[in-house]
Amino acid sequence: MTLSVALGPDTQEGTRTGTAESTDSLTAPDIPWNLVIWNDPVNLMSYVSYVFQSYFGYSESKANKLMMEVHKKGRSIVASGSKEQVERHAVAMHGFGLWATVEKASGGNNGNSGNSGGGQGKGKRG
Amino acid sequence: MAKAFKYGLKGITGYLEPAERDLLRSLIHDVISMLQPEDRDGQDPLAALIGLDMDVAEPSDRAVKRLLPNVMKDDAGASLEFRQLTERSLRETKIGALRAAALDLDKDEIVLTPDGARHWSMALNDVRLVLAERLDIQDEEDAEHVHLMQDWSQAEDVESYLALVYNFATWLQESLVQAMLQSMDSRR
Repeated sequence: MTLSVALGPDTQEGTRTGTAESTDSLTAPDIPWNLVIWNDPVNLMSYVSYVFQSYFGYSESKANKLMMEVHKKGRSIVASGSKEQVERHAVAMHGFGLWATVEKASGGNNGNSGNSGGGQGKGKRG
Repeated sequence: MAKAFKYGLKGITGYLEPAERDLLRSLIHDVISMLQPEDRDGQDPLAALIGLDMDVAEPSDRAVKRLLPNVMKDDAGASLEFRQLTERSLRETKIGALRAAALDLDKDEIVLTPDGARHWSMALNDVRLVLAERLDIQDEEDAEHVHLMQDWSQAEDVESYLALVYNFATWLQESLVQAMLQSMDSRR
């Protein structure tokens, strides 16, 4: 991603990253698919965070954390759910111009634990 | 000279010079023409109406493929099947946002509703994705290299001209997204 001019404190990867969240939803049998966002050198960091906030309803800090994970690790699981749900998200992400794919959650989740928070518009804005 | 988008009492506003509006309009129309589904003879009109396209193929143009990527990383067959069901409507979504942005270019001062701002951000993003493919921006290093090109008096060839246009679109999108984030903040 391309660096944006205004990064808030939440965008820095701190000691909290990837430690506090549970991984139980990753292995739950009813959540078998992940939506993955891949890094690319064109999309603005601010725009990626905006998409995560406006489409998924994620808080600014969660959106920025996921955005930084995409930027630094090359990819991030930003939502999980049924195949139909994550496919619908993927089309929406393609509409925004983000590089999104879907994959089965079981097996190669590339150590990407901690971000499987459901991802269904459950944020604080209605 | 264009003014950065800002968020204020009237909503999100911006200002572009006529030459800048002409430039953006032509870029937007280029991207629309790349996204326009071709009319093929013998296509089932009902299938087309509900968005199905059984004859769709993975795009051969890299820029079009970046706009309409495969939905699965290592499964071309499943990705193609998904394209048959979704690509036509994805093209239409993108064309809709691009057309909406082009319509706003009829006036010097641009005043955007939240929906209008979303359409603009999507349109500018697609324009940048296409320019980036033409400039062969593959990684952050390439992006940095292009970013260094800021002086219009140095535009001597197509590549440096495209780089300047890309940087202009980037600056404009960044200012728009910052204004959109501010407007979201104020509604929380």
